[in-house]
Amino acid sequence: MTAESMPANAMVPKSPAMIEARGVEKWYPNGFHALRGVDLTVQRGEVVVIMGPSGSGKSTFIRTFNALEEFQKGSITVDGIALNDDRRKIDAIRREVGMVFQQFNLFPHLSVLDNLTLAPVLVRRRPKGEVLSQAMALLERVGIAEQAHKFPGQLSGGQQQRVAIARSLCMEPRILLFDEPTSSLDPEMVREVLEVMQGLAADGMTMVVVTHEVGFARQVADRVVLMADGQVVEEATPERFFDHPQHERSRQFLAQIL
Amino acid sequence: MPRVTPTSLRKELFANPLDGLVSVLLITGLAAVGYRLLHWALTQAQWAVIQANSTLFAVGRYPIEQQWRLWLLVALLVAATGLSWGVLRGLPLRDRPITALWPRNDRIGAIVLVALGSWAPAALGLTLSIQVRWWGLTGLLLLMRWLAGRYGSRLGKAATRALPLVWPLLYLVGMVLIGGGLGLVPVGTNEWGGLLLTLVEASFAILLSAPLGVLLALGRRSSLPLLRWGSVLYIEFIRGAPLITLLFLGQNILGFLLPGGLAPDRIWRAAWILTFFSAAYLAEAVRSGLAAVPRGQLEAARSLGLSLPQALAQVVLPQALRIALPATVGQFISLLQDTTLLSLIGLLDLLGTARSVMANPLFLGKSAEVYLTLAVLFWCCCAALGLGSRALERRLNPPSLGR
Ligand SMILES: Nc1ncnc2c1ncn2[C@@H]1O[C@H](COP(=O)(O)OP(=O)(O)OP(=O)(O)O)[C@@H](O)[C@H]1O
Ligand SMILES: [Mg+2]
Repeated sequence: MTAESMPANAMVPKSPAMIEARGVEKWYPNGFHALRGVDLTVQRGEVVVIMGPSGSGKSTFIRTFNALEEFQKGSITVDGIALNDDRRKIDAIRREVGMVFQQFNLFPHLSVLDNLTLAPVLVRRRPKGEVLSQAMALLERVGIAEQAHKFPGQLSGGQQQRVAIARSLCMEPRILLFDEPTSSLDPEMVREVLEVMQGLAADGMTMVVVTHEVGFARQVADRVVLMADGQVVEEATPERFFDHPQHERSRQFLAQIL
Repeated sequence: MPRVTPTSLRKELFANPLDGLVSVLLITGLAAVGYRLLHWALTQAQWAVIQANSTLFAVGRYPIEQQWRLWLLVALLVAATGLSWGVLRGLPLRDRPITALWPRNDRIGAIVLVALGSWAPAALGLTLSIQVRWWGLTGLLLLMRWLAGRYGSRLGKAATRALPLVWPLLYLVGMVLIGGGLGLVPVGTNEWGGLLLTLVEASFAILLSAPLGVLLALGRRSSLPLLRWGSVLYIEFIRGAPLITLLFLGQNILGFLLPGGLAPDRIWRAAWILTFFSAAYLAEAVRSGLAAVPRGQLEAARSLGLSLPQALAQVVLPQALRIALPATVGQFISLLQDTTLLSLIGLLDLLGTARSVMANPLFLGKSAEVYLTLAVLFWCCCAALGLGSRALERRLNPPSLGR
């Protein structure tokens, strides 16, 4: 990030939007221009689905929201906090932003329960007992309370992903990012994960979801965003996007996945 | 766990004619060599050289009136070993049963130890009072192992985790007992020798090179160029030089490099060189462990808000170190053997003591007996390290499906 690309003060009025990305550009160290001026606004309580062909920069983009990837131009504000090189701000943002990965990334050396309680105890410094009961309640909610004392390697893919969601929720984030949460699951397990996500949306969680699950997008998303070649091509309600896509690129993409 | 039965043995050794032939040849060869060795050891060898010098081999010229301190230390070490052993065997095994023939389980280890502890002191012709001490120590080991196994599960997770800390702590206690201070008569390092010196040097290097190696491995993967290049330079420099040259070099330059209090004499200089040497190799072992932990682990930890040190300590290192454990212990074992090089820079470690004994005209031509004893002593130490690490490894693997 260059200094001149960021508003240098922290007195930006608290924006009503949960995520505000403006003209984000990113080059990978090898020179590849992965994001070419991406804009996106996510309102509180909104569910935004990002779609697009492989390599279009979807993962790169949502990973900039919690600073897993840095970017060189443009600005991103998360929950009113401007993302820049300031360590403390990055830490603050990561506490508020949960992320669910395609490969689950559970900690294999910790039990399911310890996976959930690790961060709240360590980062939020909450008392262990309180976190434990919250963790059990969350596991109940995603339907795997009886697995609490097992290890991730002993669970099915769908169960692991639900644990991963519960783990994020245990930090009480204001927004959840999903990067293809069902792409590495067997078909019969996709539904159990999507149902959990649907429940979260119904409870008003702000979510940005990279997925190719059209059914989920139609039912749950407030908006669908199509990315291609590091840019946003189309942004519309699910009905408009799937039934009357405006751009040639969108039609091509939908022809492939539908 | 598969048992060794006559049928399973036949299947493993005589699966087809060629296997059978190879097995027969090997068994005959081994039996012949084993018989000759045993025959020699029991009828021809003259063990008087060992009996006469047993104290020298054990502790060098350590003053006799202060040797109770070493006995006390041995008792503490034995107690700690029994404790760790008992707790370790109480933890659940978490891997598939392995099919190796040996060792079947730790009971065999215990039986071998009891046999050795009760028979060896007598066979070596040690005085009765010393024999009794060894029997007492064997009893203490079994008692601690039993107590820890019986009540260890009540210790709780935190106490079990803290158990490894007993060893560095014991090292400090040991240093006071050996060297004196805190009201004990000082015994200068020039009076330490034999197995005592070998173990002091090796354990110093093992304890200090472990954290140093982890830091170097992290440095080598750091995003800060200066740290990265510094670590690479260090590791490659050390790994490129033979230990013996470093030992000679260290005797000359370490006095300038380290504050004088840290390396006051030849013995501590050598200990530091062993540490620095071992750390470079450990760094490579740990690095391979770090490389085996998927990137997503660090990303998941960071996205949960853990700081980099927290993520490393809680998520990445526990996994990396478990993967690196076999290579790490392998390095410790070669470190223990490398201490024999100390005799070349004039220290009276186990090998140095042996050489000085063999130079004595009284014991001329007894080198086979001496070297065999040395080999057995080293083999016992290394076997203990190896068995301990295997037992630990099998209990650290996270459980997964189908196991
Ligand atoms: N570390 C990297 N270095 C260089 N290029 C990279 C790196 N990571 C990703 N890229 C490139 O950036 C582009 C965008 O990658 P990204 O992972 O964001 O795509 P995606 O839309 O998530 O694709 P997919 O659907 O396959 O996950 C791709 O062309 C990829 O090759
Ligand atoms: Mg992706």
